[in-house]
Amino acid sequence: MLRRRLLVFALLALLPTLAVYAWVRIVPIGEVIWLSLHRWNLMSRNKPFIGLDNFVELTRDPLFLDAIVNTTVIAFGVVAVTVPLGLILAALIYHRTRARLAGFYETAVFLPHVVSLVPAAMAWKWIFDARLGPLNAALGWFGIEPQSWLFDPVLAVVCIIVLCSWQTLGFAVVIFIVGMKNVPHVLYEAARLDGATAIQAFRHVTVPMLRPIVLYVSVVTLVSGFNVYAQGFVMASDTQGAPGRLVRVLVLDMLENAFRNYRFGYAAAEAVVLLLVVLGLTLIQFGLLREKGGRS
Amino acid sequence: MGKGLKIDRRRLLGLGLGAAAAATIAKPAIAQAPTLTVWSGYPEMEPFYRRVAEGLRGRVSGLTVNVQPIPLRQHEQRLALALPSGNAAEVIELGSSTATRYVEGGFMQKAPAAVTTAVRDASRYDPFFARSGSFEGSVYGMPLFRGQGALFYNAEMFTAAGLSGPPTTMAQYTEYAEKLTKRDGSGRPTVTGWSLRLGGGGQGIAEKFWINMHQYGGALVRQNAAGKWSSGYANEAGRRTLAQYLENVHTKRTCLIDSPADAEAFQRGQTAMFIRESWVIGDTAKKAPDLKYATAPLPVGTIVAPVFLYTPATGAKGDLAWQFAMASNEPENLVWLLDNVGWLPNRRDANYAPVIAKTPQLKAFVDMPQGHTLFELPAIGPVEEILTRLAERLVRAFANASLAGNTAGIDAMLREAAAETDQILRREGLYGA
Repeated sequence: MLRRRLLVFALLALLPTLAVYAWVRIVPIGEVIWLSLHRWNLMSRNKPFIGLDNFVELTRDPLFLDAIVNTTVIAFGVVAVTVPLGLILAALIYHRTRARLAGFYETAVFLPHVVSLVPAAMAWKWIFDARLGPLNAALGWFGIEPQSWLFDPVLAVVCIIVLCSWQTLGFAVVIFIVGMKNVPHVLYEAARLDGATAIQAFRHVTVPMLRPIVLYVSVVTLVSGFNVYAQGFVMASDTQGAPGRLVRVLVLDMLENAFRNYRFGYAAAEAVVLLLVVLGLTLIQFGLLREKGGRS
Repeated sequence: MGKGLKIDRRRLLGLGLGAAAAATIAKPAIAQAPTLTVWSGYPEMEPFYRRVAEGLRGRVSGLTVNVQPIPLRQHEQRLALALPSGNAAEVIELGSSTATRYVEGGFMQKAPAAVTTAVRDASRYDPFFARSGSFEGSVYGMPLFRGQGALFYNAEMFTAAGLSGPPTTMAQYTEYAEKLTKRDGSGRPTVTGWSLRLGGGGQGIAEKFWINMHQYGGALVRQNAAGKWSSGYANEAGRRTLAQYLENVHTKRTCLIDSPADAEAFQRGQTAMFIRESWVIGDTAKKAPDLKYATAPLPVGTIVAPVFLYTPATGAKGDLAWQFAMASNEPENLVWLLDNVGWLPNRRDANYAPVIAKTPQLKAFVDMPQGHTLFELPAIGPVEEILTRLAERLVRAFANASLAGNTAGIDAMLREAAAETDQILRREGLYGA
């Protein structure tokens, strides 16, 4: 009887929070899914139900297909750069925590994460500039021909991966350092007694122990990678001067379809696809990185 | 002491209640102070609207005008959200091609009789503007200014290349571009002969393509006798236009994909000529006042993008908004606009001669040769989608060296793009061959 009362009390106590969560999280998602099954231009009072027509059209839309390929490459590219590099940097910083400049290293790595995106993207735009950029100048010292970084369809995607990774790396490093601080020292001592080198201890102790942290960082990085938009927009667009190649990504395509083409149902269908892709990939990551018999 | 305190509290309470009552009574008086918000998509227009507001303040006492300009694409986005929800500003500056969908949807207010009479007065405005700002026989927009293309060329570079005047045919554009291009030791242009819009995303790429194609007699979309639309560029005009882009980029290399471009490149002396609207004149006066340049009409004709002032259908301050729109069209304000901002006013009975005498580059925009043809973006809902999608294909085509001199490849690209344009028109029920 007491347990039942406690259960009711707990549910009642949680209800306001759950209601707010449902209102701000679940209802909008439901509305987007519902909208994706309609044709609507924002102004019309008619909103005809068209079933899955928007999704069928998406499969034939070259811009959408281009956007989804670019976005996927960028998202996985950022994870592929950020996670291993973040782990290595975190390990280097962690093992130098007693060094005088440890705080400086942490701050230096984390700083890009808090820098405002637009000025950062503008700075990178200059770095990648085909004529005046320091990157091409540096490559020139090694006899490498200058590259049109922001104009070549492949290199433009690489530039966005570099910018996004530069921004995300600091966050990953900080989280990894926190994780490393929680790894019991006895494990390292045991590894040392077994004759393990520092690299072997990192590979066989640190990395496995950080699995849940790696999962968290890769999920967060992947999701933010799929939401990439402003980085590409700022690096490519310019009302005057030298614009670059605008890399089409999902969010850009969605915005264009909604606010320029006034196809809100169609844009909602794209949002649903993005939701499903991110959800699917997150579940796969959870599956791959989940510890056997334990919680991830 | 205690009693005194009690009285004081009462007094205090009385004073508080009195103040609250006074504030309540005074509130309607405060609310009556007229305020007006102006939304613009051209940040350079802000001083113009402030000037109009200043002049209007003499007639409307206590008037406060908030001018809120933001870049055009963001301006269009805020309108998409604010107009249907009834939260837009009282005065909205917008191009007629974009405004059409809002006018058709009943989100814009019909102009009152005085504005309608003024707009239809042929001595004030060319009938083209009255038509462009009307829907089903009623005027909805007050004409203000227009974007119009012309050639800008660097006079010193032309002289140095032995060219006595601007090109007058499209063949000459390429020929002149070759002569004007300056190159480094590897043959790469350090100064482009003709800056073309080759990237950056957005519908501007397709608009510029259309301007060049207009010189060959082509159009991106055409309307038939029944009022229906179809693509109009998978033909000789489209082929010649795209071939010219590719010839300049890949064969003659007068302008490369990654070359500095547009007004900025022109002002820095990185390109010898390019096609743009009149705002470049005002911009150049600020950024490169010593640049020796001239303008010239394009060989056949050019694009005109008229911009109007509208007020939302739900607005309670319609009268004041129209008063502001009328004030913005007063001759002295329009002369100031031309002189200081550089956009071309649409009203024709104002005396612009002193400004044109001072800035001869404006002449190419106002004194057009006999038979010069103008075109505007069609007032159909999917025009932006058509342009954006074509722009995406054009960017790929411009970068594709294998298309240079490859007529079959160019035709295939244009056919595919035109099929997409027709498909969009079909989807919207607008298609008719």
